[in-house]
Amino acid sequence: MTVHASFPDAALEPAPLLTVSGVSRFYGERIGCADVSFDLWPGEVLGIVGESGSGKSTLLRCLAGIDKPDAGEVLFRAGPEPLDIYSVSEQERRRLMRTAWGIVHQNPRDGLRMDVTAGGNVGERLMDRGDRHYGKIRERALDWLQRVEIAGSRIDDRPRQFSGGMQQRLQIARVLVSEPRLVFMDEPTGGLDVSVQARLLDLLRVLVRDLGLAAIIVTHDLAVARLLTDRLMVMKDGHVVEQGLTDQVLDDPHHAYTQLLTSAVLSV
Amino acid sequence: MTTMIQVENVAKTFTLHNQGGTRLPVFDDVNFTVEAGEALVLAGASGAGKSSLLRILYGNYRPTSGAIRITHAGRPVDIVSAVPRTVLDIRRRTLGFVSQFLRVIPRVSALDIVRDPLLARGASQGEASDRAKAMLTRLNLPERLWNLAPATFSGGEQQRVNIARSFVDPSPIMLIDEPTASLDAANRDVVVELISEARTAGSAIVGIFHDEAVRERVATRYLDITSFRKAA
Repeated sequence: MTVHASFPDAALEPAPLLTVSGVSRFYGERIGCADVSFDLWPGEVLGIVGESGSGKSTLLRCLAGIDKPDAGEVLFRAGPEPLDIYSVSEQERRRLMRTAWGIVHQNPRDGLRMDVTAGGNVGERLMDRGDRHYGKIRERALDWLQRVEIAGSRIDDRPRQFSGGMQQRLQIARVLVSEPRLVFMDEPTGGLDVSVQARLLDLLRVLVRDLGLAAIIVTHDLAVARLLTDRLMVMKDGHVVEQGLTDQVLDDPHHAYTQLLTSAVLSV
Repeated sequence: MTTMIQVENVAKTFTLHNQGGTRLPVFDDVNFTVEAGEALVLAGASGAGKSSLLRILYGNYRPTSGAIRITHAGRPVDIVSAVPRTVLDIRRRTLGFVSQFLRVIPRVSALDIVRDPLLARGASQGEASDRAKAMLTRLNLPERLWNLAPATFSGGEQQRVNIARSFVDPSPIMLIDEPTASLDAANRDVVVELISEARTAGSAIVGIFHDEAVRERVATRYLDITSFRKAA
């Protein structure tokens, strides 16, 4: 058994993967997000919901190492010792971002290299990780394209020749190929047709479960949250107003704002 | 006898913040226990709070106060104060909820829906498939439907998929809300048998059944929840 063996029984996991305490980010006088604290355990999927401007994307950027919070800390456990992601060097943080976690952007153009082939986009992450065998990299890239339902024959095409839904699936393959332990997703189905969304959601649901990924998903779509997440945090004006199990928050909302959100949709 | 559920001083009031802060008291001071191998049927008029109580037992609705100790892996755990991942573990291994409605997930076949709880509990692919097929057969779901996603199924067909998923590997505690609502007599009989088999095998059952004949065949004990009704 290796040090990094996964724990099949949730009750046996020794520590959270991510410990967030008191994270705040201000833009001048304006609050981006304020005093957010939570633990995320291996295999857990957390949803952050709220309307535009509620601070959910700001929070995600702070958690994902993109935007340093003005206060608070984000501890990530890649090994036995927790790591404060903003106290390590820029270089170390970038290495973590490439290997231990992944970010799926709302706009695939922000996560893909548009001038590199589909196979190259996926293979690049493996090379970042230290893989050097060209044949094996191509083989794994091909395998991942198929897992996200992109025909292998498209491996040498560039993303700009793909539809929006395909670009998003390619971005997901690029993120997941390096086997991250934690994935951040910002409105992963935003801007896609409903039928394309359904296919992507199903794919994400299966991948998250099969790989035992921990994930943090920002969405304004409560049906997406219902389908993909275990836990939910509801944000308003930069503050977390309610959190709990996803079905608790959606079926028995306690805060006025959550009640407003859940009553504003037809059926989730 | 093993106590599987212990409800202590549970109260529930809904507060509707966007409707003038209206408070809807449902009940208070609810106390009862459920043992392994018994089937407790909740009685009381429509609107008395039977479904709310069942959802509270599942950790879906959050009570205003009180504790609900679920015997999980041999130990009592309060599902009200438990952290989310503990609640999920309790649901995965100990606590099943059977509703009248199937939550359809796009593109997932009926067979996969029924196999899912077995796989989540560590069964092999082959065993999960065999048991799922046997259960769908027993509930008379035509084989040509097994590999289709149930979005286009009739209400009764969806309900049978949901029941198959729930009873393919009965949990130590089964919470059941109107499982026979849109079933014909033959399938209703199958559901009654499935519940009785689960109970005989040691599951603790708590259920709501509007059909009187079903209720009488299933129940080993009744609880009239009107007595917990809060004076409004």
